[in-house]
Amino acid sequence: MEGDVAGSSRGNGADSSARFRNSEELQDWMNEEGDGSADMSASDVDMLKRAWRNEKAAPEVLPFQTLLVERVREQILLMEDNLVAFSGEISEELMLSLYRMDLDRTLFLLRAYLRTRLNKIEKFALHVLKAQELWDRLSEQEQDYAQRFTDSLHKHFQQTVLGKLPYGYQSIMKQATSSEEDDMIPEPNLDTFVFCRSKRAIGAFQLDEKGDETVDLMADDLYILRYRPIKDLLDNDRIELV
Amino acid sequence: MYGKKASQLCQELSRIEDDQLHPFNNDLFNQVLEESNEHFYQLESRMTKMHADGLDLQTTQNQDYYGGLIHHLSLLRNKRCLLTYIYQRTQNIQRLRWQLGAVLPEDIQERLNHFEKEYFKSYSDLIGSYMTSIDLDLVVDVTPPKDPYIQVRVMDDVGEVFLDDQSTSLLRNSIHLMKRTEAEPLISQGLLEEFAG
Repeated sequence: MEGDVAGSSRGNGADSSARFRNSEELQDWMNEEGDGSADMSASDVDMLKRAWRNEKAAPEVLPFQTLLVERVREQILLMEDNLVAFSGEISEELMLSLYRMDLDRTLFLLRAYLRTRLNKIEKFALHVLKAQELWDRLSEQEQDYAQRFTDSLHKHFQQTVLGKLPYGYQSIMKQATSSEEDDMIPEPNLDTFVFCRSKRAIGAFQLDEKGDETVDLMADDLYILRYRPIKDLLDNDRIELV
Repeated sequence: MYGKKASQLCQELSRIEDDQLHPFNNDLFNQVLEESNEHFYQLESRMTKMHADGLDLQTTQNQDYYGGLIHHLSLLRNKRCLLTYIYQRTQNIQRLRWQLGAVLPEDIQERLNHFEKEYFKSYSDLIGSYMTSIDLDLVVDVTPPKDPYIQVRVMDDVGEVFLDDQSTSLLRNSIHLMKRTEAEPLISQGLLEEFAG
Protein backbone atom coordinates (compact mmCIF):
# COMPACT_ATOMS: atom_id res chain seq x y z
CA MET A 1 0.00 0.00 0.00
CA GLU A 2 2.76 2.43 0.91
CA GLY A 3 4.39 1.78 -2.38
CA ASP A 4 1.82 3.56 -4.44
CA VAL A 5 1.18 6.45 -2.17
CA ALA A 6 3.19 8.94 -4.03
CA GLY A 7 4.62 7.21 -6.97
CA SER A 8 1.95 5.90 -9.26
CA SER A 9 -1.21 6.97 -11.01
CA ARG A 10 0.35 9.87 -12.74
CA GLY A 11 -0.71 10.90 -16.17
CA ASN A 12 1.68 10.20 -18.95
CA GLY A 13 3.19 13.51 -19.93
CA ALA A 14 3.52 12.89 -23.61
CA ASP A 15 -0.09 11.86 -24.23
CA SER A 16 -2.08 14.37 -22.37
CA SER A 17 0.06 17.45 -22.30
CA ALA A 18 -1.23 18.78 -25.60
CA ARG A 19 -4.28 20.19 -23.94
CA PHE A 20 -2.21 21.95 -21.33
CA ARG A 21 0.04 23.93 -23.58
CA ASN A 22 -1.52 27.15 -22.36
CA SER A 23 -0.10 26.51 -18.92
CA GLU A 24 3.57 26.47 -18.32
CA GLU A 25 3.27 25.16 -14.81
CA LEU A 26 1.11 22.25 -15.73
CA GLN A 27 3.43 21.52 -18.58
CA ASP A 28 6.33 21.54 -16.19
CA TRP A 29 4.52 19.23 -13.90
CA MET A 30 3.82 16.77 -16.64
CA ASN A 31 7.37 16.80 -17.86
CA GLU A 32 8.86 16.54 -14.46
CA GLU A 33 6.58 13.86 -13.15
CA GLY A 34 6.00 11.98 -16.36
CA ASP A 35 9.49 10.73 -16.89
CA GLY A 36 10.65 10.87 -13.31
CA SER A 37 10.85 7.13 -12.98
CA ALA A 38 13.34 6.73 -15.78
CA ASP A 39 15.43 9.59 -14.50
CA MET A 40 18.46 8.89 -12.35
CA SER A 41 17.94 11.84 -10.03
CA ALA A 42 15.01 11.18 -7.74
CA SER A 43 12.33 13.81 -7.39
CA ASP A 44 11.81 15.60 -4.12
CA VAL A 45 8.70 13.59 -3.48
CA ASP A 46 10.62 10.35 -3.91
CA MET A 47 13.25 11.64 -1.55
CA LEU A 48 10.62 12.57 0.98
CA LYS A 49 9.16 9.12 0.69
CA ARG A 50 12.55 7.64 1.40
CA ALA A 51 13.12 9.98 4.33
CA TRP A 52 9.74 8.96 5.74
CA ARG A 53 10.48 5.28 5.39
CA ASN A 54 13.89 5.64 6.98
CA GLU A 55 12.36 7.59 9.79
CA LYS A 56 9.69 4.96 10.33
CA ALA A 57 12.18 2.10 10.46
CA ALA A 58 15.02 3.66 12.41
CA PRO A 59 14.88 3.30 16.19
CA GLU A 60 16.24 6.81 16.83
CA VAL A 61 15.23 10.14 15.42
CA LEU A 62 17.13 11.01 12.22
CA PRO A 63 18.36 14.43 11.06
CA PHE A 64 15.52 16.68 9.99
CA GLN A 65 15.47 17.12 6.22
CA THR A 66 15.23 20.88 6.36
CA LEU A 67 15.88 21.73 2.73
CA LEU A 68 13.88 18.85 1.37
CA VAL A 69 10.85 19.73 3.47
CA GLU A 70 11.18 23.35 2.40
CA ARG A 71 11.24 22.40 -1.28
CA VAL A 72 8.30 20.04 -0.93
CA ARG A 73 6.28 22.68 0.87
CA GLU A 74 6.98 25.15 -1.90
CA GLN A 75 5.84 22.61 -4.43
CA ILE A 76 2.67 22.00 -2.47
CA LEU A 77 1.89 25.70 -2.42
CA LEU A 78 2.51 25.91 -6.13
CA MET A 79 0.28 22.93 -6.80
CA GLU A 80 -2.47 24.42 -4.67
CA ASP A 81 -2.27 27.67 -6.58
CA ASN A 82 -2.42 25.80 -9.85
CA LEU A 83 -5.46 23.90 -8.73
CA VAL A 84 -7.27 27.10 -7.89
CA ALA A 85 -6.23 28.71 -11.14
CA PHE A 86 -7.52 25.84 -13.23
CA SER A 87 -10.49 24.77 -11.19
CA GLY A 88 -12.88 26.65 -13.46
CA GLU A 89 -12.10 24.62 -16.54
CA ILE A 90 -14.60 21.82 -16.67
CA SER A 91 -12.94 20.20 -19.66
CA GLU A 92 -9.84 19.47 -17.62
CA GLU A 93 -11.66 17.79 -14.81
CA LEU A 94 -9.94 14.45 -15.11
CA MET A 95 -6.51 16.00 -15.22
CA LEU A 96 -7.33 18.23 -12.30
CA SER A 97 -8.53 15.28 -10.31
CA LEU A 98 -5.27 13.45 -10.97
CA TYR A 99 -3.39 16.57 -10.06
CA ARG A 100 -5.40 16.87 -6.87
CA MET A 101 -4.60 13.25 -6.05
CA ASP A 102 -0.92 13.89 -6.58
CA LEU A 103 -1.12 16.87 -4.27
CA ASP A 104 -2.96 14.89 -1.61
CA ARG A 105 -0.38 12.16 -1.70
CA THR A 106 2.46 14.61 -1.32
CA LEU A 107 0.65 16.21 1.59
CA PHE A 108 0.10 12.82 3.17
CA LEU A 109 3.79 12.02 2.92
CA LEU A 110 4.77 15.30 4.49
CA ARG A 111 2.32 14.86 7.34
CA ALA A 112 3.27 11.24 7.91
CA TYR A 113 6.93 12.23 7.99
CA LEU A 114 6.38 14.95 10.56
CA ARG A 115 4.06 12.77 12.64
CA THR A 116 6.52 9.90 12.75
CA ARG A 117 9.16 12.26 14.03
CA LEU A 118 6.89 13.71 16.68
CA ASN A 119 6.12 10.22 17.87
CA LYS A 120 9.76 9.41 18.36
CA ILE A 121 10.48 12.75 19.97
CA GLU A 122 7.71 12.12 22.48
CA LYS A 123 8.93 8.65 23.21
CA PHE A 124 12.51 9.66 23.91
CA ALA A 125 11.99 13.30 24.82
CA LEU A 126 14.28 13.33 27.86
CA HIS A 127 16.99 11.52 25.99
CA VAL A 128 16.76 13.87 23.02
CA LEU A 129 16.99 16.86 25.33
CA LYS A 130 20.11 15.51 26.95
CA ALA A 131 22.03 14.33 23.90
CA GLN A 132 23.34 17.26 21.91
CA GLU A 133 23.76 15.14 18.81
CA LEU A 134 20.09 14.20 18.76
CA TRP A 135 18.97 17.67 19.75
CA ASP A 136 20.70 19.11 16.69
CA ARG A 137 18.75 16.76 14.47
CA LEU A 138 15.46 18.44 15.26
CA SER A 139 13.96 21.36 13.44
CA GLU A 140 13.52 24.53 15.41
CA GLN A 141 9.83 23.86 15.89
CA GLU A 142 10.52 20.30 16.97
CA GLN A 143 13.02 21.51 19.54
CA ASP A 144 10.41 23.79 20.95
CA TYR A 145 7.98 20.89 20.94
CA ALA A 146 10.38 18.51 22.68
CA GLN A 147 11.12 21.06 25.36
CA ARG A 148 7.50 21.86 26.08
CA PHE A 149 6.47 18.23 25.90
CA THR A 150 9.06 17.27 28.49
CA ASP A 151 8.01 20.13 30.72
CA SER A 152 4.42 19.12 30.66
CA LEU A 153 5.14 15.43 31.18
CA HIS A 154 7.47 16.26 34.03
CA LYS A 155 4.85 18.45 35.61
CA HIS A 156 2.31 15.67 35.30
CA PHE A 157 4.66 13.10 36.86
CA GLN A 158 5.50 15.58 39.58
CA GLN A 159 1.90 16.19 40.49
CA THR A 160 0.78 12.59 40.42
CA VAL A 161 3.76 10.59 41.64
CA LEU A 162 7.11 12.24 42.15
CA GLY A 163 5.90 15.01 44.43
CA LYS A 164 4.30 12.46 46.71
CA LEU A 165 7.30 10.22 47.04
CA PRO A 166 9.78 10.61 49.89
CA TYR A 167 12.67 13.02 49.60
CA GLY A 168 15.49 11.54 47.58
CA TYR A 169 13.18 9.61 45.28
CA GLN A 170 11.58 12.52 43.47
CA SER A 171 13.78 12.86 40.40
CA ILE A 172 12.50 12.11 36.92
CA MET A 173 16.05 11.42 35.77
CA LYS A 174 17.28 9.18 38.55
CA GLN A 175 15.64 6.37 40.42
CA ALA A 176 16.99 7.76 43.67
CA THR A 177 19.60 10.34 44.65
CA SER A 178 21.96 7.46 45.34
CA SER A 179 22.08 6.61 41.63
CA GLU A 180 25.25 7.95 40.16
CA GLU A 181 23.96 8.38 36.64
CA ASP A 182 20.63 9.33 35.19
CA ASP A 183 19.25 5.84 35.10
CA MET A 184 15.61 6.51 34.40
CA ILE A 185 15.67 7.91 30.89
CA PRO A 186 14.30 5.72 28.14
CA GLU A 187 16.66 5.45 25.22
CA PRO A 188 16.10 3.94 21.81
CA ASN A 189 17.54 0.48 21.37
CA LEU A 190 20.13 0.91 18.67
CA ASP A 191 20.83 -2.80 18.54
CA THR A 192 17.45 -3.60 17.19
CA PHE A 193 17.24 -5.18 13.76
CA VAL A 194 16.15 -3.25 10.71
CA PHE A 195 15.42 -4.18 7.13
CA CYS A 196 17.64 -2.31 4.77
CA ARG A 197 18.53 -2.17 1.14
CA SER A 198 21.75 -1.02 -0.37
CA LYS A 199 21.56 1.25 -3.35
CA ARG A 200 24.88 0.28 -4.80
CA ALA A 201 27.24 -2.57 -4.09
CA ILE A 202 29.16 -1.65 -0.97
CA GLY A 203 31.15 -4.80 -0.70
CA ALA A 204 32.27 -6.49 2.49
CA PHE A 205 30.98 -4.52 5.44
CA GLN A 206 32.08 -5.00 8.99
CA LEU A 207 29.29 -5.59 11.47
CA ASP A 208 31.24 -5.54 14.71
CA GLU A 209 34.37 -3.91 16.00
CA LYS A 210 36.44 -7.05 16.05
CA GLY A 211 35.77 -7.69 12.42
CA ASP A 212 34.60 -11.27 12.94
CA GLU A 213 31.34 -10.62 11.30
CA THR A 214 31.10 -9.15 7.86
CA VAL A 215 28.39 -9.03 5.30
CA ASP A 216 28.71 -8.53 1.58
CA LEU A 217 26.33 -5.73 0.68
CA MET A 218 25.12 -6.08 -2.88
CA ALA A 219 23.11 -3.54 -4.78
CA ASP A 220 19.35 -3.80 -4.34
CA ASP A 221 19.48 -6.80 -2.04
CA LEU A 222 17.50 -6.83 1.18
CA TYR A 223 19.25 -7.40 4.50
CA ILE A 224 18.17 -7.67 8.09
CA LEU A 225 20.92 -6.16 10.18
CA ARG A 226 21.43 -4.52 13.52
CA TYR A 227 20.89 -0.80 13.34
CA ARG A 228 24.01 0.35 15.16
CA PRO A 229 26.69 -0.79 12.71
CA ILE A 230 24.85 0.43 9.62
CA LYS A 231 23.98 3.82 11.09
CA ASP A 232 26.80 5.55 9.25
CA LEU A 233 25.80 4.04 5.94
CA LEU A 234 22.34 5.49 6.49
CA ASP A 235 23.80 8.89 7.36
CA ASN A 236 25.74 8.87 4.13
CA ASP A 237 22.62 7.89 2.26
CA ARG A 238 24.25 4.71 0.94
CA ILE A 239 21.49 2.45 2.17
CA GLU A 240 17.82 2.91 2.82
CA LEU A 241 15.60 1.30 5.42
CA VAL A 242 12.41 -0.40 4.40
CA MET B 1 4.37 -8.85 50.27
CA TYR B 2 6.32 -5.77 49.22
CA GLY B 3 5.61 -4.52 45.74
CA LYS B 4 2.47 -6.58 45.41
CA LYS B 5 0.09 -3.66 45.16
CA ALA B 6 2.27 -1.86 42.68
CA SER B 7 2.34 -4.90 40.46
CA GLN B 8 -1.44 -5.15 40.69
CA LEU B 9 -1.59 -1.59 39.45
CA CYS B 10 0.48 -2.51 36.43
CA GLN B 11 -1.42 -5.71 35.85
CA GLU B 12 -4.51 -3.62 35.55
CA LEU B 13 -2.93 -1.87 32.61
CA SER B 14 -2.14 -5.07 30.82
CA ARG B 15 -5.67 -6.39 31.23
CA ILE B 16 -7.08 -3.38 29.47
CA GLU B 17 -7.79 -3.70 25.80
CA ASP B 18 -5.55 -1.57 23.67
CA ASP B 19 -7.56 1.56 23.29
CA GLN B 20 -9.57 1.50 26.46
CA LEU B 21 -9.03 4.02 29.17
CA HIS B 22 -10.31 2.88 32.54
CA PRO B 23 -11.22 5.15 35.41
CA PHE B 24 -8.21 6.15 37.44
CA ASN B 25 -7.69 3.64 40.24
CA ASN B 26 -7.28 6.16 43.03
CA ASP B 27 -7.59 3.63 45.80
CA LEU B 28 -4.84 1.32 44.75
CA PHE B 29 -2.69 4.18 43.52
CA ASN B 30 -2.78 5.91 46.87
CA GLN B 31 -2.13 2.66 48.69
CA VAL B 32 1.04 2.20 46.70
CA LEU B 33 2.07 5.75 47.52
CA GLU B 34 1.44 5.14 51.21
CA GLU B 35 3.39 1.92 51.06
CA SER B 36 6.27 3.80 49.47
CA ASN B 37 6.35 6.29 52.26
CA GLU B 38 6.24 3.48 54.78
CA HIS B 39 9.24 1.90 53.05
CA PHE B 40 11.06 5.15 53.38
CA TYR B 41 10.19 5.40 57.05
CA GLN B 42 11.51 1.89 57.62
CA LEU B 43 14.64 2.63 55.65
CA GLU B 44 15.24 5.83 57.55
CA SER B 45 14.78 4.26 60.96
CA ARG B 46 17.30 1.56 60.08
CA MET B 47 19.77 4.11 58.88
CA THR B 48 19.29 6.17 62.02
CA LYS B 49 19.83 3.09 64.11
CA MET B 50 23.04 2.25 62.32
CA HIS B 51 24.11 5.82 62.72
CA ALA B 52 23.36 5.73 66.44
CA ASP B 53 25.34 2.53 66.77
CA GLY B 54 28.25 4.35 65.24
CA LEU B 55 28.41 2.07 62.19
CA ASP B 56 29.63 3.18 58.80
CA LEU B 57 26.74 3.12 56.32
CA GLN B 58 29.01 2.38 53.38
CA THR B 59 30.80 -0.67 54.68
CA THR B 60 28.69 -2.28 57.38
CA GLN B 61 26.70 -5.23 56.20
CA ASN B 62 24.53 -6.21 59.10
CA GLN B 63 20.82 -6.99 59.29
CA ASP B 64 19.86 -3.33 59.39
CA TYR B 65 21.79 -2.69 56.21
CA TYR B 66 20.06 -5.46 54.27
CA GLY B 67 16.70 -4.61 55.78
CA GLY B 68 17.13 -1.05 54.64
CA LEU B 69 18.29 -2.17 51.22
CA ILE B 70 15.13 -4.20 50.73
CA HIS B 71 13.01 -1.21 51.62
CA HIS B 72 15.03 0.94 49.27
CA LEU B 73 14.62 -1.48 46.39
CA SER B 74 10.92 -1.94 47.09
CA LEU B 75 10.55 1.80 46.98
CA LEU B 76 12.32 1.97 43.62
CA ARG B 77 10.05 -0.72 42.32
CA ASN B 78 6.98 1.12 43.52
CA LYS B 79 8.19 4.31 41.93
CA ARG B 80 8.70 2.51 38.67
CA CYS B 81 5.24 0.96 38.73
CA LEU B 82 3.53 4.21 39.66
CA LEU B 83 5.25 6.05 36.85
CA THR B 84 4.45 3.26 34.44
CA TYR B 85 0.81 3.48 35.38
CA ILE B 86 0.76 7.24 34.86
CA TYR B 87 2.84 7.07 31.69
CA GLN B 88 0.72 4.40 30.03
CA ARG B 89 -2.32 6.49 30.71
CA THR B 90 -0.71 9.56 29.21
CA GLN B 91 -0.07 7.50 26.08
CA ASN B 92 -3.77 6.83 25.84
CA ILE B 93 -4.58 10.44 26.57
CA GLN B 94 -2.24 11.60 23.84
CA ARG B 95 -3.77 9.16 21.39
CA LEU B 96 -7.21 10.48 22.21
CA ARG B 97 -6.06 13.98 21.30
CA TRP B 98 -5.12 12.75 17.84
CA GLN B 99 -8.26 10.71 17.37
CA LEU B 100 -10.95 12.87 18.87
CA GLY B 101 -9.59 16.38 18.73
CA ALA B 102 -9.23 19.03 21.38
CA VAL B 103 -12.51 18.37 23.15
CA LEU B 104 -13.10 15.04 24.85
CA PRO B 105 -16.56 13.55 25.14
CA GLU B 106 -18.14 13.55 28.57
CA ASP B 107 -17.83 9.81 29.22
CA ILE B 108 -14.08 9.85 28.64
CA GLN B 109 -13.58 13.01 30.69
CA GLU B 110 -15.04 11.17 33.64
CA ARG B 111 -12.34 8.53 33.51
CA LEU B 112 -9.54 11.03 33.85
CA ASN B 113 -8.45 12.46 37.13
CA HIS B 114 -7.91 16.15 37.66
CA PHE B 115 -4.25 16.13 36.69
CA GLU B 116 -4.87 14.06 33.62
CA LYS B 117 -7.43 16.56 32.40
CA GLU B 118 -4.82 19.23 32.83
CA TYR B 119 -2.30 17.11 31.00
CA PHE B 120 -4.70 16.55 28.15
CA LYS B 121 -5.22 20.25 27.85
CA SER B 122 -1.56 21.10 27.84
CA TYR B 123 -0.81 18.32 25.35
CA SER B 124 -3.61 19.55 23.17
CA ASP B 125 -2.27 23.12 23.28
CA LEU B 126 1.17 21.78 22.51
CA ILE B 127 0.03 19.92 19.40
CA GLY B 128 -1.97 22.96 18.39
CA SER B 129 0.91 25.36 18.67
CA TYR B 130 3.29 22.98 16.90
CA MET B 131 0.86 22.70 14.01
CA THR B 132 0.48 26.46 13.94
CA SER B 133 4.23 26.94 13.95
CA ILE B 134 4.65 24.72 10.91
CA ASP B 135 1.39 25.93 9.39
CA LEU B 136 0.13 22.43 8.64
CA ASP B 137 -2.68 20.37 10.09
CA LEU B 138 -1.20 17.00 11.04
CA VAL B 139 -4.34 15.45 12.42
CA VAL B 140 -5.92 14.77 9.05
CA ASP B 141 -4.69 12.23 6.51
CA VAL B 142 -3.92 9.41 8.90
CA THR B 143 -4.18 6.78 6.21
CA PRO B 144 -2.66 7.12 2.77
CA PRO B 145 -5.25 8.66 0.46
CA LYS B 146 -6.55 6.35 -2.21
CA ASP B 147 -9.00 8.77 -3.69
CA PRO B 148 -9.22 12.47 -2.95
CA TYR B 149 -12.97 12.14 -2.61
CA ILE B 150 -14.94 9.73 -0.49
CA GLN B 151 -18.57 8.94 -0.11
CA VAL B 152 -19.97 9.46 3.33
CA ARG B 153 -23.23 8.94 5.10
CA VAL B 154 -24.42 11.45 7.65
CA MET B 155 -25.07 9.86 11.03
CA ASP B 156 -26.98 12.69 12.61
CA ASP B 157 -28.41 16.03 11.57
CA VAL B 158 -25.41 18.29 11.45
CA GLY B 159 -26.92 21.26 9.69
CA GLU B 160 -25.24 23.72 7.38
CA VAL B 161 -21.50 23.40 7.01
CA PHE B 162 -19.02 24.96 4.67
CA LEU B 163 -17.33 22.35 2.55
CA ASP B 164 -14.95 23.35 -0.15
CA ASP B 165 -16.20 26.92 0.29
CA GLN B 166 -19.75 25.89 -0.46
CA SER B 167 -22.51 25.70 2.05
CA THR B 168 -23.82 22.15 2.29
CA SER B 169 -26.63 20.87 4.40
CA LEU B 170 -25.78 17.60 6.15
CA LEU B 171 -29.03 15.87 6.93
CA ARG B 172 -29.29 12.57 8.72
CA ASN B 173 -28.78 9.57 6.43
CA SER B 174 -28.05 11.68 3.40
CA ILE B 175 -25.09 10.64 1.31
CA HIS B 176 -22.41 13.02 0.12
CA LEU B 177 -19.30 12.91 -1.95
CA MET B 178 -16.73 15.10 -0.34
CA LYS B 179 -13.04 15.74 -0.04
CA ARG B 180 -11.33 13.22 2.16
CA THR B 181 -9.44 15.93 4.04
CA GLU B 182 -12.72 17.62 4.91
CA ALA B 183 -14.55 14.44 5.77
CA GLU B 184 -11.93 12.91 8.07
CA PRO B 185 -12.37 15.23 11.06
CA LEU B 186 -16.13 14.80 10.84
CA ILE B 187 -15.75 11.02 10.63
CA SER B 188 -13.52 10.87 13.68
CA GLN B 189 -16.07 12.94 15.57
CA GLY B 190 -18.66 10.34 14.66
CA LEU B 191 -20.80 12.72 12.62
CA LEU B 192 -20.22 10.91 9.35
CA GLU B 193 -19.27 7.43 8.35
CA GLU B 194 -17.60 6.24 5.24
CA PHE B 195 -20.20 4.85 2.92
CA ALA B 196 -19.13 2.06 0.66
CA GLY B 197 -22.04 1.98 -1.74
